Amino acid sequence: MLFWQILIDGFAISSLYALGATGFTLIFGVTGVLNLSHGAIMVAAAVAAWAAAGSLGVGSYLGAAFGVLTGLLLSLATYFLVVRRLQRSQRIREEEKEIFILTATLLWGIMIQEAIAYLYTNNAKTVLPIVDGVVSIVGVRTPANEIFTAVVCWLTIGALWLFVNRTRAGKAVLAASMNPRGVTLLGIELSVVYVAVWAIYGALAGTAGVLLGMFLGVSSYSAGPLTASAFSIVVLGGLGSVSGSLIAAYVVGYLETLTAYLVSPAYRAIPALLLLVVVMYVRPRGLLGRR
Amino acid sequence: MIRFNGVISPAAVTRGMLGASAVVVALAAGSFAWAEDQGPIKIGVIAEAQAVAGSSIPLAAQLAADEINANGGVDGRKIEIVSYDNHSSSAESVRAFQRAVSEDHVNAVIASYVSEVVLALEPWSARLKTVLVTPGAASDVITANIAKDYEHNKYTFHGYLTSGSLSQLVCDAAKDMLVDGLKMKTAVIMSEDAAWTTPLDAGYAECLPKIGLQVLDHIRFSPDTTDFTPIFNKIEGEKPDVIITGISHVGVQPTVQWKSQEVPIAMFGIASQATNSTFWKDTNGAAEGVLYQGVSGPGVAVTAKTLPFVDAFVKKFGNTPSYCGYTAYDEVYYIADAIHRAGSTDSDKLVAALEKTDYVGTIGRVQFLPEGDPHVHGLKIGAGLITGLFLQWQHGEQINMWPADLAKGKLTFPSFVKVGAGG
Amino acid sequence: MLRRILLSPPVWISLIVVLVASTLPLYVSGYVLGLLTIAYYFGVFSMAWDLLFGFANEVNFGPTFLIGLGAYTAGILDSLYQPPIFVCVAAGVFAAVTGGIVLALPALRVRGPYFGLTTLVAVLILQNFIVVAAELTGGEIGLTVPDVISIDDKINYWISLGFMAASGAILYGLSRSPVGLILQASGQDAVQAGALGFNVTKHKLAAFIVSAFFSGLAGALMVFYLGVASVGTFVDVTVGVQVIIGAVLGGRRTILGAALGAVFLIAMGEALRPLGDLATFIVSAIALAVVLLFPGGLLGMVKGAREAT
Repeated sequence: MLFWQILIDGFAISSLYALGATGFTLIFGVTGVLNLSHGAIMVAAAVAAWAAAGSLGVGSYLGAAFGVLTGLLLSLATYFLVVRRLQRSQRIREEEKEIFILTATLLWGIMIQEAIAYLYTNNAKTVLPIVDGVVSIVGVRTPANEIFTAVVCWLTIGALWLFVNRTRAGKAVLAASMNPRGVTLLGIELSVVYVAVWAIYGALAGTAGVLLGMFLGVSSYSAGPLTASAFSIVVLGGLGSVSGSLIAAYVVGYLETLTAYLVSPAYRAIPALLLLVVVMYVRPRGLLGRR
Repeated sequence: MIRFNGVISPAAVTRGMLGASAVVVALAAGSFAWAEDQGPIKIGVIAEAQAVAGSSIPLAAQLAADEINANGGVDGRKIEIVSYDNHSSSAESVRAFQRAVSEDHVNAVIASYVSEVVLALEPWSARLKTVLVTPGAASDVITANIAKDYEHNKYTFHGYLTSGSLSQLVCDAAKDMLVDGLKMKTAVIMSEDAAWTTPLDAGYAECLPKIGLQVLDHIRFSPDTTDFTPIFNKIEGEKPDVIITGISHVGVQPTVQWKSQEVPIAMFGIASQATNSTFWKDTNGAAEGVLYQGVSGPGVAVTAKTLPFVDAFVKKFGNTPSYCGYTAYDEVYYIADAIHRAGSTDSDKLVAALEKTDYVGTIGRVQFLPEGDPHVHGLKIGAGLITGLFLQWQHGEQINMWPADLAKGKLTFPSFVKVGAGG
Repeated sequence: MLRRILLSPPVWISLIVVLVASTLPLYVSGYVLGLLTIAYYFGVFSMAWDLLFGFANEVNFGPTFLIGLGAYTAGILDSLYQPPIFVCVAAGVFAAVTGGIVLALPALRVRGPYFGLTTLVAVLILQNFIVVAAELTGGEIGLTVPDVISIDDKINYWISLGFMAASGAILYGLSRSPVGLILQASGQDAVQAGALGFNVTKHKLAAFIVSAFFSGLAGALMVFYLGVASVGTFVDVTVGVQVIIGAVLGGRRTILGAALGAVFLIAMGEALRPLGDLATFIVSAIALAVVLLFPGGLLGMVKGAREAT
């Protein structure tokens, strides 16, 4: 019984981690940017969905859509206002650009977080769930919402996979991550590719945020830990490798769930951290890292 | 109208003009000393303005000050509230406290509903010999420190119920409602790992068996927890009749997940976030059936002053006050009263006067425990003094269930909760 | 050569600034002094970070690992045994340096985001440890230390100012000394430096130790100023963020700029306090604007566009 509970709960939380991490690694893989405002964008999407569904009363579907849209718009804003400016700056040496982008996205994330706290207080919010009630799986009473979360995560990841591997636009994105110059030689505007990637990332982060909001709830305080968590998972899996991130997300998700059930909820985060330390020491490029 | 630091008040403008004509003198810090005995009485308010609960503190304090000033002030002197947002940080609170005393020369400070913050401020209250009253923190350590070193820590007053008192009040209510009313026999304690819950849980562990509820387990989780699924699953596996709660830092998330998972066990106890009027919306209605301890409830006239305060607050600020708004409001009144009785704002005299407080406020009759008591400077509880209430969220409203003479409804639970012995 | 350093504009300007700053207690309020006292400690945090960044050319996401070790070791020792304050502070520094070495060993083997992550993980582990071992550390509540150095604003201010000035002098001197310049070069091009015969790793380790020393010392001193140590004040990632932003804002690799940036951030945060909730937002926005528009940081702005970033 406990076994099934762990299996199911772990699956749901891991799927959520996977979706968030996929977006994070996509952006890094294609554009080389470690977006430290990742968590803030997720929280903003969730809070937008909560506000729309609740205060404006548009109901759960439209609320969720509004949340995803918010993620998308914020992501594009991050690109146009913050990242692109630094990437194109003539006054910064190439090697230095990374730390500038890190610092700038960090500040941008703080701004978003504070804006949320200012407008809606730092109290936790939950998004009105699209599905309700419980179902029984192998005798384990599971909220339908949890299953919905896992399903949507995988559908989204699947859609992303189809896009990257089966559509022309997606292949251009994949190519851009491997060889930007080569892509331009093919006559594809690199800047268009970048905008497309940031838009996709925004949708991914927005979806992850809304789902998180429905399943567990978020508050403005969640932004930092969410970014740290995505960062850890992505590095564990290997920067730039989407499949690595997926595997790592499940490893971390299950480690946390196992610890919470078998040891104590208070120590939940620790084994994952220790694993990270070990991996950093033994195999720094992560499980499936390319570099 | 709230004064945040930096904004100039008419009194300061007058003083500034007088001072400008003696510019050199005005530069020295000591020039304000003569003004202190005739000028306004300043009360510093340090609070978590971004938190739902904390935001009421400065507002309620200002409301009280405005009312007192409209009635002539204290012996002719007006009360001025000087407000600081501590961003829920102990370090910022310490800074704000130092600023309040050294720069803004406040006569007393009302600070925070977070135990960690108050504990960080307590030694500074002693070092800077300035009265500190908390409107919302619960940790027993606050009063324990005063008992340990009365001479130094006597400037601190615990203006809210201590965790020890809270656990006793929860047990009193549980006896009437759960044991006598619903014939419950077993319980699991679920609390967040924080300063205020250590004495609370100890209190629960002691008083619950005495009223007839056997404690099957005691689960403490990190306040950063976001996923409560394993916790509820574990509790459910032990099959208690009720979950006795001690949560404040979290509230929305466990409640939503409780409903989403359809945990068949009722929740009863301390849940600070449940006291907020926005709790229903924040949880999208998952609050239905949650039973929580409070010092106030909509429409409940705990004393003759309760409802007029609420009406005035709503009229002025547009929303209902959080629980620490009630206590902050009372604190301004009884600090002013103490200053009046002492005839001075001198800290030692003020302490002596505060110890003799006998004030009927919005949550009950305020009296402090005297020197020699292990909880010196804590509030006295019991019938005729302060008993608190027990409320339940029903269909978007907070309905009072206890004490019986103030009850306004009957207990109902969502369909997935099984009540009664053997749950 | 020493003469050249002493006469260079940044140095004598800094000397003048410090001199002026030391006269502040004569006419400025206790509150402002208290604010600047904390700001100066943060100045040292940022300068120590900038030194490591300049030498190792890697973004250390966990300056608060070192700061926290220093602060908590000093605080715990005091709350348990109450030895003289300088003993506690020395213990704090020792712990921070040890921690710095332990962190440096895995961290220096990796580059880029992996380095950042290793340092971030160190902070998270320390944070978790503090929370879990609450009996010893006070946990989330925080630790109240029985002693403070002084309750007099002026004395605390001068101690902090003097400490920042001394640290700044040492750190700046190190960064501009022959050894320091070589380290900076090796930080930016390890291959060449190695080819020139320098043991890059050994020197990076030295940089870690120096950074740890000052971070730990500043952390320990700050505990005895505030009278309280908590995760939110010394360890939390948000504090680390403030340290990093202060250094980048002030101007990377300038050491003095880091102090300037840190003080600026804290002063701005307080100056905007009347705005209550929006203060952090505005400070972050201003910092972001500076980063976007003036990559050379505040010091770069002052020096003009010729600053080769």
